Amino acid sequence: MTTAGSKKELRVLISTGHLGTAPSSPESFHRGMETNPDYVVADGGSSDPGPVYLGEDTTLGHFVREELELFLTASRRKGIPLVIGSAGDTGSNRGVDEFVSIIKELAQEHRISKFKIGYFYSEVPKDYLRKKIRAGKALTGLGGFPALTEDEIDKATRIVAVAGVDPFIKLLDMGADVIIAGRCGDINFTAGPCIHAGFPEALSYHMGKMIECASLVAEPFMGKETVIGTISKDDIKITPYHPDQRATIASVAGHSMYERETPYYEHTLGGMLDMRSCQYEQYDARTVRITGAQWVPATELRVKIEGAKKLGERYMGFVALRDPHVVRNVDKAIDWCKSAVAKRFGNEKYELYFHVFGRNGVLKELETVKETKAHELAIVVEGLAATDPLAEKITDFAVRMFFLARIPGVKGTAGTAATTKKTMKSSPGYMWNVNHTVPIDDPMELFPVHMTEAGV
Amino acid sequence: MAKLSDIASTIRSKNAGVNQITFDIIFPNKESYARVKESGVITRESIATFFDIPAARISDFVTFDLGNAIKFTIYRNRPSGSPGDWDILGCQQYGPLLEIEVP
Repeated sequence: MTTAGSKKELRVLISTGHLGTAPSSPESFHRGMETNPDYVVADGGSSDPGPVYLGEDTTLGHFVREELELFLTASRRKGIPLVIGSAGDTGSNRGVDEFVSIIKELAQEHRISKFKIGYFYSEVPKDYLRKKIRAGKALTGLGGFPALTEDEIDKATRIVAVAGVDPFIKLLDMGADVIIAGRCGDINFTAGPCIHAGFPEALSYHMGKMIECASLVAEPFMGKETVIGTISKDDIKITPYHPDQRATIASVAGHSMYERETPYYEHTLGGMLDMRSCQYEQYDARTVRITGAQWVPATELRVKIEGAKKLGERYMGFVALRDPHVVRNVDKAIDWCKSAVAKRFGNEKYELYFHVFGRNGVLKELETVKETKAHELAIVVEGLAATDPLAEKITDFAVRMFFLARIPGVKGTAGTAATTKKTMKSSPGYMWNVNHTVPIDDPMELFPVHMTEAGV
Repeated sequence: MAKLSDIASTIRSKNAGVNQITFDIIFPNKESYARVKESGVITRESIATFFDIPAARISDFVTFDLGNAIKFTIYRNRPSGSPGDWDILGCQQYGPLLEIEVP
C-alpha cells in the first residue's frame, strides 16, 4: 500500500471513460501496464445514458465482465490496486453488489491469490431526505431544477448520492486492493488515491478531471485507449499510450471544457476546483504538463443526489412516408393521428411523441432547417401509458392512423404511410426528477464502506 | 465569407448534467479564434436568435482564450432521456452550427 509522502510521483492508468459500453483496446492497455503504474482506475458509470437505468436499476454495458477481467487479471498480476467508480452505470446498491460478485468469480476462475475488495454504497434512504426537508434544509436544484419536494422524492424509484474522495481514502486506509464504488464524481476515483498518497488536493482533483475519459484527452480522437496521468507535488502530466495519439495543449485544454458548463470550475463534494489560472505546456512529444489549479474547500458540505421517476410503459412504432404530397403535409398527418387518438382514448392518461426524421427528429424545436428537402420521411411514434397493454394499444393505433390519415388532395387511396409489421416494446419511460444538492455534516455519512475477500 | 466548419477544428455538443447541453467551438490557433470572436457572429444573443430560443435558455456563454474556444450552454426543455427526447447525450445538437457564415 502506498503511504503518504513515500513517493515522488504517482502514476494512474485509465483505459475507458465508461466501463462496459465497449471494450478497452488491449494493446495500449498492456503497453501502459508494462510501465508499472501505481493504480488502474475506470469509471463504471454516468448519468449520460439517461434516467431508465437508475429508474429500472439495470446496467447498460454488455462488456462489463470482459473489462473487469482485463483490469483485474492485469492489475493483480503486478499487485497494482484497481479502483472502479460508479459501478453498474448508476452506482446503485445492486450495481455495486453485481460488480463485487463478478470480481469474486473472476478471482476464482483465474486462481488469483487472496486479496481485499473494498466497496461502498451510495443509495440514499428517502426518509433521510424527507427529514432534511422537514428540518427546513434546502434541497437545491441543479441545472435549472426547482427545489426538491417530498412529492418528487416519493415519485423517484431510487435515489443515489454522488460520493467525493472520502470513501476511497477510507477504503485504501483499510487496505483495499480493489475498490468497487457506488455513485461517485468522475474525478474522485482518481483524486482519492492521489490525495491518499499525500499529493496536493488541487493537482489530485485536476488529474482526476483530465483523465476521467481516458484517450478523449488526447488527439486524434480515439475512444477506449489507455492514458496515464502522473502526479507530483508540483504538476500533473498526461501521456497517451496508443502510438498514434498525442496529448497536446489544444487537446488537453479542449478536454477541460468537455461536458461541463464552464472550463473554469469543477464542483464536487467538499469543494471546488478553480482552473482559471491553469498553465499547460508541451512536456515532450506526447505529454502535456499542467500546473496552476486551485482547490477551494466548501464552506458548507453539499452532496449531489440523482433520481428518476417512472412516467409509464412505452412502445414505439415506425412509419415511413414517400408520397410527396403527404411528405409536404406531414403536420396535417400528425394532427390527424393526434386527434384520432384523443377521440378514441381521450379518457385515458397517455403521452404521445412524433419523431420526424428527415425534418427535425434529432433537434426538435432547435432545428434551424425549417423546410425539409427530403423526398421521404421516417416517423417514430413513441407512446406511453400506465399499463403495458394500453401503451401498446395507443401507440399502435397512432401508427395505423398514419396509414389512414385523411389529407385533402392525396392521390393514393390504398394507404398514406408505409408501415412495418409490429409496434415494438421499449423500456418504460422515466424522467430525471432528482438533480439536487443536500447539505450533509460528514462526507462519509451517505457512503457506508465494507470490506470482503476474494481469491484463493 | 467562410463557413464555421471551415475555420473551427472541433465543433461539438454534449450533455452538461442532465438538464443542459453544452456546445464547444474550438479553433486551431489564436488567429482563427480571434477572427470568429471579433466577428460577433457567435454571441449569446446571436445564438438565441440562431436557435430561435429565448435568451433565458442560454445558461452560460464563455470565450476561453487558453483553449482558443467559444463555449455556450443551453437548458433542455425536459431533462435528457425523457420521453420525446431523441438525443440523450446531446451529442448531435451542434449540427446546424457548421453552416454559420463568418465574415
